[in-house]
Amino acid sequence: MILVLFGVSLMIFGIMMLFPPGMRVAIFVQTDKIKPGQIDALIARYGLDDPAPVQYVRWIKSVFQGDFGYSITAQAPVIEGFKRFFPITLELVLFATPLIILVGIRLGTLGAVHKDKPIDHGTRVFAIIGYSLPTFWLGLLLLMIFYGYFGIFPPGYLSIKGKDILFSPEFKRYTRLITIDAILNWRWYLFWDALYHLILPTINLVMLQSALILRLTRSSMLESLGQDYIRTALAKGADRRTVNKHARRNALLPVVTIAGIIFASLLAGMVITETIFNRQGIGLWMARAAILLDVPAIMFNVLFLGVVFAIANLIVDILYAYIDPRIHLA
Amino acid sequence: MQTLVKSEELYTNFYTFEGVVKALNGVSVVVNQGETYGLVGESGCGKSVTVRSMMRIVQEPGKIVDGKILLFFKQEDRSKGINIIERSEAFMQSIRGNDISMIFQEASTSLNPVFTIGEQVGESFLFHRLSQMLKETVGELDEEIQRNRFFLVQGWKLLQRALFRAEFKNLEAYQDKVQSLDNRLSELEEKTDNRSITEKILLQRRRERLRKKKTWIEILKRIPFLRRYYRRLKKTIRKHVVELLKQLGVPSAENMPDRYPHELSGGMQQRIVIAIALACHPYLLIADEPTSNLDVTIQAQIMELIKTLKKTTIASVLFITHDFGLVAEICDRATVMYAGDVCETADVKTIFRHPLHPYTKGLLQSVPKAEQVERLSTIPGIVPNLIDPPSGCRFHPRCPYAMDICPEEKPPTIEHSPEHYVACYLYVDKER
Amino acid sequence: MADLREQTQHPRYKEFLFSAKRFLKNPLTIIGLVIILGFAVVAIMAPMLAPPENPEQPFKIPHTGWRSEPSPPSKVHPLGTLPQQYDILYGIIWGTRSAFRIGFLVVLANMLIGIILGAIAGYFGGVIDEIIMRITDMFYAIPYLVMAMALVIAIGRGLKSIIIVLTILGWPTYTRILRSEILVVREKDFIQAARASGASHLRIIFQHVLTNTIYSVLIVASMNIGITVLYAAALSFLGLGADTGYADWGQMVSTCRNYIVGPADNRLAYWYVVFTPGFVLALFVLGWNLLGDAARDVFDPKLRRR
Repeated sequence: MILVLFGVSLMIFGIMMLFPPGMRVAIFVQTDKIKPGQIDALIARYGLDDPAPVQYVRWIKSVFQGDFGYSITAQAPVIEGFKRFFPITLELVLFATPLIILVGIRLGTLGAVHKDKPIDHGTRVFAIIGYSLPTFWLGLLLLMIFYGYFGIFPPGYLSIKGKDILFSPEFKRYTRLITIDAILNWRWYLFWDALYHLILPTINLVMLQSALILRLTRSSMLESLGQDYIRTALAKGADRRTVNKHARRNALLPVVTIAGIIFASLLAGMVITETIFNRQGIGLWMARAAILLDVPAIMFNVLFLGVVFAIANLIVDILYAYIDPRIHLA
Repeated sequence: MQTLVKSEELYTNFYTFEGVVKALNGVSVVVNQGETYGLVGESGCGKSVTVRSMMRIVQEPGKIVDGKILLFFKQEDRSKGINIIERSEAFMQSIRGNDISMIFQEASTSLNPVFTIGEQVGESFLFHRLSQMLKETVGELDEEIQRNRFFLVQGWKLLQRALFRAEFKNLEAYQDKVQSLDNRLSELEEKTDNRSITEKILLQRRRERLRKKKTWIEILKRIPFLRRYYRRLKKTIRKHVVELLKQLGVPSAENMPDRYPHELSGGMQQRIVIAIALACHPYLLIADEPTSNLDVTIQAQIMELIKTLKKTTIASVLFITHDFGLVAEICDRATVMYAGDVCETADVKTIFRHPLHPYTKGLLQSVPKAEQVERLSTIPGIVPNLIDPPSGCRFHPRCPYAMDICPEEKPPTIEHSPEHYVACYLYVDKER
Repeated sequence: MADLREQTQHPRYKEFLFSAKRFLKNPLTIIGLVIILGFAVVAIMAPMLAPPENPEQPFKIPHTGWRSEPSPPSKVHPLGTLPQQYDILYGIIWGTRSAFRIGFLVVLANMLIGIILGAIAGYFGGVIDEIIMRITDMFYAIPYLVMAMALVIAIGRGLKSIIIVLTILGWPTYTRILRSEILVVREKDFIQAARASGASHLRIIFQHVLTNTIYSVLIVASMNIGITVLYAAALSFLGLGADTGYADWGQMVSTCRNYIVGPADNRLAYWYVVFTPGFVLALFVLGWNLLGDAARDVFDPKLRRR
């Protein structure tokens, strides 16, 4: 895994080097107020003309020190921006992931158990459509319908009143997750407000992402149902429910481990969702940074997500070894 | 000789993309109590399909299209058989694993890799001996409550006992209903007048839909955190499992229920499979080529086990194989099958010494014998494609004694000598 | 007599018929086929359906006027216009060509790279295999969209960049698939037999190995065309694609970001701007996904025999 991380960092560094030195200055300075004449001096000072390996080492060192430079999009050092934006993204992802998995598994098993019957075709159609829809399109459509036509589920992550509560001095940030903090502060209005703003993006995500789990569960279940131990269960006099239980536990092995991957890819895919629903998370940050060519922000996000991905993969591998009785950790 | 199970003129087809595979062409098999019955034949001749049809677990896309399957042990009067062809799936589930059990070829894949041995063997008890288990648990809890008077512990046990009692009552009510329905259906068995048939159909439907009443206890059993109390029952079941394993000569039976199938050797796995089959003391054990994938030493072990079990636990076995050696070793009677036809049925000694059917003769001739010096003899030709099988007697294209009448019509089964049946026109004339 | 005819048919032909029949049995497949064929027809006939203003630059959508507010569907603009009065219908028709172009180019390139690398890794094994697999793992560890964004930003915006970037990021899937298929096939007896009868490595790969393993790759490729176009559209939506006024579906949706919700009295005023290009995009992707799904159902050997 270390090797993978190393490779990823190399790739990111490589992308960084594609930018002209003038833009890379931002990684090293802490403000956004630079006069044009100062750029050359700064380039020399931070050694942005030095050979690549030297710069790489320097960059890695600064990464480990937690210094990622200044983000013009966030109007703050990158780290601060991250602290500000990440909880909002995290909240949505934490909220949506279990739902995606549950919906996907439920529909997938239904489809497998009633293979070739209407409900099977129904769920498969649902899956294929969900899979094919462009993220932004469905989101925009949902907004148009619910917010545009019905006037409910507005974009954003909190209403104005909610934001007032959130940023008021008495409000203590325990976890930085708005819903949980709201409960801990005993501010129910804030809780419902946050939840209210979570619903539409969650629907969007569930419709789009559950397709993958649905397909995986379905094919896994089908394979499981064709195995010999199902034959044994039948010969034992098992009823339909028990047979499904036998099949399900085998079938869910690969599915459950995908949960980690789903989590990670949701984090990455937030760019579009947050843009559409106007949630101030790292996705929207990244989208703005892309347009404004805010190099430090972009680099940081890519690095962060890369690390998250690598960790997710690792956890998935470990989890798989843990829950399958046939595999013993080497 | 008390008959246990009988199939009459069973026709089973498989509806595949390439065509309809007529797997069974009027198969009639009779298994009596106390005997080891062998079903012999080449691969693909329909031995497995026959027994699966008899237990009605034919796999998709197969369907039983005609014939009768009679069980003789469900009635007070053991000579009356009930036809289970049309019976509900719920009824069949109560028979499978309980009255008739089946073990399969590959033990390693027959066991579910993600459940422990204890869970899988225990399932047999859970399905078919639930009321007995519940009663035992309640009894044990009664005792424990008397002995230990410490408040907290007692409270928990009282709760468990109450829950199990409730489940027991619910189960008894259900079983009573089932029993009365089944009795009525058996009474109506032979009546063929319109009124009876209508009643039969209605009762069948009711039987199918009969479920244990969805009382709160059933729901409680399933809720993830609340169903902890059920562990008590599982403990009782585990005791029975360990006892069963000990009886079967499984070493370290105390620890076995916690193991997983992949931790065991092939021979041990097969023993576990046998344990699952015998847990409820079935009348008949069907063994579908149980030793075909094991090496010879393990094969010998399993055969010994089956022989021992025959004397102690289970009196009647239906043994499927393509190995005549095994037939000679363990079977009392045997039936030879070819391409979905039953060729010959007799006790084993007679089959070996006086085979009547040309196919049987051919098979026995092709088995290499110790003193043999000449070339091995074979039966010319190949096994037919069952989508378009030969007409009449399916063996006629390869039969050295084929006559004109053979392709015309399937030969009837004649009792050539007492308890020796053969389906061949060679012996039909002699009858007339 | 039917027997005789059946027996004289070459087995490969029979298999093909079997596959074709199964393929067409599924109604969803037919829908997918119809959709894709429909798009193909539109793409081919684009010059006739929507004559460009300037034949040299057919992808520039003509616009009548400079008003930034989109116009609703009318006789002049049957599907309405985008902000700055770009005709939607024209954009959609020529956008079909863009979509096919992006999809085919990227997927073909991915397939080539992936197959070559996968074949080398799988067949020769050892150190080469290790290296290639580590590189593939690295690619799997990066978040696709975000990385694509970064790369496109780095090398400059535009459709060409998107194509290049997606090509760079997309081949690992094919490598993995091909490699695992090869690992399975490599040990099969008929390969040993070929080696024993003296066939050279190259010949073995082409004749035996690839013909058996190509199916899964094709299945994945057909589904990936849709996904690739989706990603390209997403990148365009974020502003990293072509310039305004270029006939590309994603680009068209991107220009409308400010016009999702209309004025307070008529919130759905600009529905056509969001709905139409996205719908066409969804339909295109749906068609490819249906085809890929159906292909998988047909060609997956585990699910083949009824």
